[in-house]
Amino acid sequence: MKKALFLIFSGLFLMSLQATFLSYPPIQRVRPDLTLVLVLYLGFSLPLFSGGILAFLMGFLMDLFSGNVLGLYTLTRPLTFLIAQLFRNRFYWQGISFQFLFVALTSLLEGLLLLLLLITLTPSPLKNLYPSVLTHLLPQALCTGLVTLPLFSFLRKGMEFLREEEERTGIRLRG
Amino acid sequence: MRIRTPPLFRRYHIAVFVIVLLLSGLILMSLRVKQRQGIGFADAFLLEIASPFQKVTTAVTQGLRGVFSHYFFLVDTAKENDLLKKKIAQLQEANHQMQEMAIANERYRRLLQFREEGVGPMITAEVIGRDPSSWFRSVTINKGEMEGVNRGMAVISPDGVIGQVLKTSLHYATVLLITDYNSALDALVQRTRSKTIVEGKEENRCQLKYLLRTEDVVVGDRVITSGLGGKFPKGLWVGEIQIVEKKGHGVFQHAELIPSVDFTKLEEVLVIKESTLPAWPSAPVREEKDKRARKTPGEVPKKK
Repeated sequence: MKKALFLIFSGLFLMSLQATFLSYPPIQRVRPDLTLVLVLYLGFSLPLFSGGILAFLMGFLMDLFSGNVLGLYTLTRPLTFLIAQLFRNRFYWQGISFQFLFVALTSLLEGLLLLLLLITLTPSPLKNLYPSVLTHLLPQALCTGLVTLPLFSFLRKGMEFLREEEERTGIRLRG
Repeated sequence: MRIRTPPLFRRYHIAVFVIVLLLSGLILMSLRVKQRQGIGFADAFLLEIASPFQKVTTAVTQGLRGVFSHYFFLVDTAKENDLLKKKIAQLQEANHQMQEMAIANERYRRLLQFREEGVGPMITAEVIGRDPSSWFRSVTINKGEMEGVNRGMAVISPDGVIGQVLKTSLHYATVLLITDYNSALDALVQRTRSKTIVEGKEENRCQLKYLLRTEDVVVGDRVITSGLGGKFPKGLWVGEIQIVEKKGHGVFQHAELIPSVDFTKLEEVLVIKESTLPAWPSAPVREEKDKRARKTPGEVPKKK
């Protein structure tokens, strides 16, 4: 329970950071998607059920705070979580280079998926968004990849701390 | 070999010395009184001998005073310096606060004046967050359903149109900005009265759709709300045309505008409560009023 609360509060904190501190120019153009990093961490470290619910919640929150009327993140975030689940046993996900590459690539893919969904679901053609792939999506993907290392480290340490505390409490109760 | 002094002098040597001394003094004094000046040679000689000593002594004294005043008494100076630094920091902080208050005051004054010029009830709200995603353009405000903010309400600022309320909760709401690609707004080109639809395009740019090719629209023309949507009152400033292109064939021309509101600096907004509103005072009229109000900052704008 504590772990779930920790992850939820981390998600809220990261989203607030993304919506306030990182939303001002010039950072805004290349701001990293911190909540995506969290969702990927959930995919790597949590079981499918609990992690999936949290990823869904994160996507829902993103939709809630953004001008997105279609609710696209509620779809793409659990999808991203599932991709991370799929890869977690095939690669050594704690390696720095893998983390960077995987997160940057996922960020890029999610952006392209969002663009595809927007083009498909919007009645009028959205030619205005095409240049965003180069001006926003690529730099953002790279920046997201770069912040992965400290964020993963923070989340891992938080989870380890909670695990240790749980163990200590268990020993005390057994004793 | 030892010189033997006379016995009389040996007996009275102290008295002799005193008399000689006093007589010498008297003689010198009498000489000075007589010539009204010092004895040239003696004075010069003594001066010449004494001066180097005096010079060295003064230098040493000054050096010591310097050492004491610059090093030994430095503790006080350092304390004084710290105190002054603190005072400067406090004054700077107070100055910054006052500047910020003055800026905020100016904003609130304009907001108040704008509210009073309006015809319908409005809700003042603060921007507390921006869109967390890079694909959409929205802001979160600190007023929601409890304060009377509902979905679809128009959001404006003294500078012009901002957008519409997209989502609401009890105490917060999300506003879709006019720069979002989902946003569409019925508008008019102020000079030519050409009808158009303003759609979001980029970070801080909109495009004018369905603007007839025959319309004589030029760069710099102002675009205002038409009031046809029923949400925005007529005559609110939307922005200024930046690009006009009549490429190829077709019924419409391509035009883009820069919104009058700088969305990167958005801090306070006004939510219009009424859904059907009469015309807003035209932008030039408001600007003129604003200029007048700025010239006389002490005056409180009267309520209509």
